[in-house]
Amino acid sequence: MSAPVPVMTIPGEPPPAADAVRATGLTRTYGRGATAVHALAGVDVAFTRGAFTAIMGPSGSGKSTLMHCLAGLDTPTGGQVFLGDTELTRLRDDQLTKLRRERIGFVFQSFNLLPVLDARENIVLPMQLAGRRPDPAWFDAVVARLGLRDRLRHRPSELSGGQQQRVAVARALLSRPDVVFADEPTGNLDSRSGAEVLDLLRSSVRETGQTVVMVTHDPAAAAYADRVVLLADGRLAGEIDRPTADSVLSALRGLGA
Amino acid sequence: MFRVITAGLRAHAARLVASTIAIVIAVGFVVATLTIGATTRSTVLEAVGARYVSADVVVTGIQDPAGLDADVAGLPGVGAVDLATSTSVQAVVPGRSGAQFLLVDSVAEDPALRWQQLAEGALPDRPGEVAVSERVGADVGDVLTVATYDEEGREDASQATVVGVVDLGGDPSAGINGRAFVTPEQVAAWGGLGPSELRIAAADGTDPDSLVADVRAALADRDVEVRTGEEQAEQEAASVTGDAEILTTVLLVFGAVALLVAGLVIANTFAVLLAQRTRELALLRCIGATSRQVRRSVLAEAAATGLGASVLGVGAGIGLAVLASALVGTDSPVPLAGVEVPLSAVVLGLVVGTGTTLLAALAPARAATRIAPLAALRPLDPAPLRSRGGLLRLAAGLLLLVPGVLLMAGGVVGGEILFSVGGGALSFLGVVLLAQRAVPPVVAAAGRLVRSGGVTARLAGGNATRNPRRTAATATALLIGVTLTTAMVVGAASTRATAQAELTAQYPTDVVVTGNTEDGVPASLAERLAAVDGVRAAAGLQAGGVTGPDGYEGWTLGVDPAAAAGVLRSTGDLPLPAEGTAVLPWWTVEGWGVEDGGRVTLTGDDGPRTFTVALGDTDYPLLTVGDLTALDPDAVADTVWLRLDDGVDPAAVVDEVTDVAGSIVPTAAVTGLASERAALDEVLDVLLLVVTGLLGVAVLIALIGVGNTLALSVVERRQENGLLRALGLTRGQVRGLLAWEATLVAGVAAVLGVVLGAGYGLVGVASLLGDQGELVLSFPWLQVGAIVVVATVAGLLASVLPARRAARTPPVAALAA
Ligand SMILES: Nc1ncnc2c1ncn2[C@@H]1O[C@H](COP(=O)(O)OP(=O)(O)OP(=O)(O)O)[C@@H](O)[C@H]1O
Ligand SMILES: [Mg+2]
Repeated sequence: MSAPVPVMTIPGEPPPAADAVRATGLTRTYGRGATAVHALAGVDVAFTRGAFTAIMGPSGSGKSTLMHCLAGLDTPTGGQVFLGDTELTRLRDDQLTKLRRERIGFVFQSFNLLPVLDARENIVLPMQLAGRRPDPAWFDAVVARLGLRDRLRHRPSELSGGQQQRVAVARALLSRPDVVFADEPTGNLDSRSGAEVLDLLRSSVRETGQTVVMVTHDPAAAAYADRVVLLADGRLAGEIDRPTADSVLSALRGLGA
Repeated sequence: MFRVITAGLRAHAARLVASTIAIVIAVGFVVATLTIGATTRSTVLEAVGARYVSADVVVTGIQDPAGLDADVAGLPGVGAVDLATSTSVQAVVPGRSGAQFLLVDSVAEDPALRWQQLAEGALPDRPGEVAVSERVGADVGDVLTVATYDEEGREDASQATVVGVVDLGGDPSAGINGRAFVTPEQVAAWGGLGPSELRIAAADGTDPDSLVADVRAALADRDVEVRTGEEQAEQEAASVTGDAEILTTVLLVFGAVALLVAGLVIANTFAVLLAQRTRELALLRCIGATSRQVRRSVLAEAAATGLGASVLGVGAGIGLAVLASALVGTDSPVPLAGVEVPLSAVVLGLVVGTGTTLLAALAPARAATRIAPLAALRPLDPAPLRSRGGLLRLAAGLLLLVPGVLLMAGGVVGGEILFSVGGGALSFLGVVLLAQRAVPPVVAAAGRLVRSGGVTARLAGGNATRNPRRTAATATALLIGVTLTTAMVVGAASTRATAQAELTAQYPTDVVVTGNTEDGVPASLAERLAAVDGVRAAAGLQAGGVTGPDGYEGWTLGVDPAAAAGVLRSTGDLPLPAEGTAVLPWWTVEGWGVEDGGRVTLTGDDGPRTFTVALGDTDYPLLTVGDLTALDPDAVADTVWLRLDDGVDPAAVVDEVTDVAGSIVPTAAVTGLASERAALDEVLDVLLLVVTGLLGVAVLIALIGVGNTLALSVVERRQENGLLRALGLTRGQVRGLLAWEATLVAGVAAVLGVVLGAGYGLVGVASLLGDQGELVLSFPWLQVGAIVVVATVAGLLASVLPARRAARTPPVAALAA
């Protein structure tokens, strides 16, 4: 189904890694001793550049933890994380922060936007923090695609849940990050708004080669992805290429979710 | 419900720390003030009362002592009678150079009426013996040389042997002069001034009150005051502590300001805490708690906090009083011995502290009861609560402000300070009410101003105004302190400038050196004095004899106007003469029949010359040197006028000038107002320092409030800060965000406060001094600027701890709902 995405190479520089994000031997332990929880118990996983990947698994299987570690939001207990050629696990907090605002986009389940800023300001916030100017043509394109043109001056409290998520998607896409991470982006939305957001994510992958990694509970949402990575008890528990809602559902049943 | 309250208190104990500190400071201040006031009173009462412990009845206001003691001694129930007399002498103590002034009192003959506490030796039994107070510095066995003066001013010397030293305790009247105690005969010999009072000791078993009645009846036709010893002691103590009472009142006003500010901080804390607990309270409502129960739980929490803090505050206040007492002792204008903690101070501290907290929590508690049970189910959105109180507050604020301002205007025009004070208090209350409305837009405007400061500044601008009521309350607390401080500083500056202007006009020369001889002084004296460190300029004056229109030759001065212009601070009251002009003293208007601008004829060795008259504050007629020498070729150098550098210690310079002048002209006299000017400055400086320090308490509480509000906001915005961190705000930028927010709020409060305070200060000065001659308005830009900077920077500092906490927010916090 997915069209091959051309990968641009710049002459004179080493070819970029084929994987946008990659983790090896990733562990994350909460607490210590007898009460220690191994949220991640040794995960090796890679996410292809220009692909839309979904992470699924039963509640408590470590999906969010994995995503946080991959996105540089949380520090893993062991193992390595690479964003392209950069090893995140070696960076200090400030370097990590700068990397997040320059090379990673986020869409969260809820509380995505700052209440004191209007939609436009929220969208450009990470770029402003990085001291960069958004490309006006690209800004217009993103805003038009997300149907937010006449909502830019509104504050989050004046937007519907679906609109708020679309603003968050626009923010994530604006800086053309290496990866967009989304943690249950449709969890709080009705099915129509959810479908809209998922469509937007998928079309950004198809049309502009954006890499997207999404955590979700919803087999229908996972069906928008090119590939599904399954997690159980902090370990990889399988993969589904070109998933459908049915194939995902049966795979999840096999995991006991 | 009680469980919920105690659980709430435990859970929020940390967040109530700031409210507690605010109350502790304010209550501590009030209690310390009352305790020190009471201690002063009791210290004085004890010291003054020492004279009356032995007397049951005291008769004062005695006009004619003849037969008085006999009249009383015959009454039933009278044990002993002593007609006290007093006088004063000059006495020289062996080993000390100068004579000192001693107040002399008689010692009662009957031991029952002797009240003096002996530190050493005994009381005198016969003339020629004296007991002295410790202040005199004499020992038992010393022989004092005592000089008294009779009515013609003839000196009469006698000797007296010291037989005892009396301990006067903390009697405030003891510190000023030495005291001596001698037999009544000796008092009479030293020129007794007549009896001051009659002291009566009751016979055993006689009630003083009934004795007072008997004595009063017996002396009914003598027009005297009859009191019990206790009443008399209180009467005298009150006259001594009058000043201290005023001080206590003033301090209590500052205490009230501190309480008001503390109240604002507390109201804010409770508002924030309750906003954070909206869901929890709504859940309580969902499961069946009535709104009354919710309100009561909130108020009970406030009462518990207030009471706890007030107890701490009372302790702190008493501790402060003990400290003050230990530092100050009895040797000060506010004598303190030990501490006397009046029960009323403790009760008042507890009541006022708890009351303020409860009152402050009232509005938030009412708001809490309006939370709908459904709020528990809605996602938490800290939307600002709209209140009907807003309109009411606006109306009340205007109702206070407008008449207040009119009253102040009346005060300025009429020079009535009482009008202005009343108007000021009214309008300020109005301002405090209106600030709730006015501050948020100003903060928003300031926020727009700093938008160029980058994303963090813009975010901070938004954060500072997202909860207008909270911002307003925080800023108002600071505003009050800053306004009052500025008013004091501005008022003091203009008061000083006005007083200085008056002084310089009256006494335009800093120092005057006169030779006091007919032969004059060396012409080089002026140069020598000009060379003294701290002397900026010197002008030598000539003196000679000139005959006026009345035919008498008088001492006349000649001045070089060019040189003198650099020496005089003002020519307002003392104009300098030009060639052909004579500056004449005011007495010549009557004496010589001259008038300002008229003509006068002065006669010298070569005959008469006519001058234009200018009147001025001078002791002798003042001509130019040229005119004087033309009239009297024998005129000699006589007087030197000096101007000192600003900012030098005038006493030191005057000493140096005295030495130099004395070495050249032994008879030289040095006078001048330089030290008076400096003394006035010093008094104003000390007053200002004390008042600023007291207002600092209010500012301190307000700053605790700024930090507190920020800290609570950080808790509230944990998710938001996490989101910002996830999106790429570095830790430093998070700290910057909080710093900007604090700076905005504190800066706006400081600027508004300074503007208001300057207005109040100028109004105060204008109405206080407006009718006393010329008013000089001086605006202390530097100090006022410093107030803005200090308040803003302190606000910034208040953000440090909350900012550290905010910066520690992990990015994943945004994702944990
Ligand atoms: N801060 C924490 N402290 C302790 N344990 C934690 C913490 N965060 C997560 N865990 C534990 O780590 C494990 C994985 O959590 P994680 O949030 O990654 O699961 P998840 O797959 O995202 O679950 P869900 O589908 O419910 O969101 C869980 O057992 C959880 O209890
Ligand atoms: Mg999760």
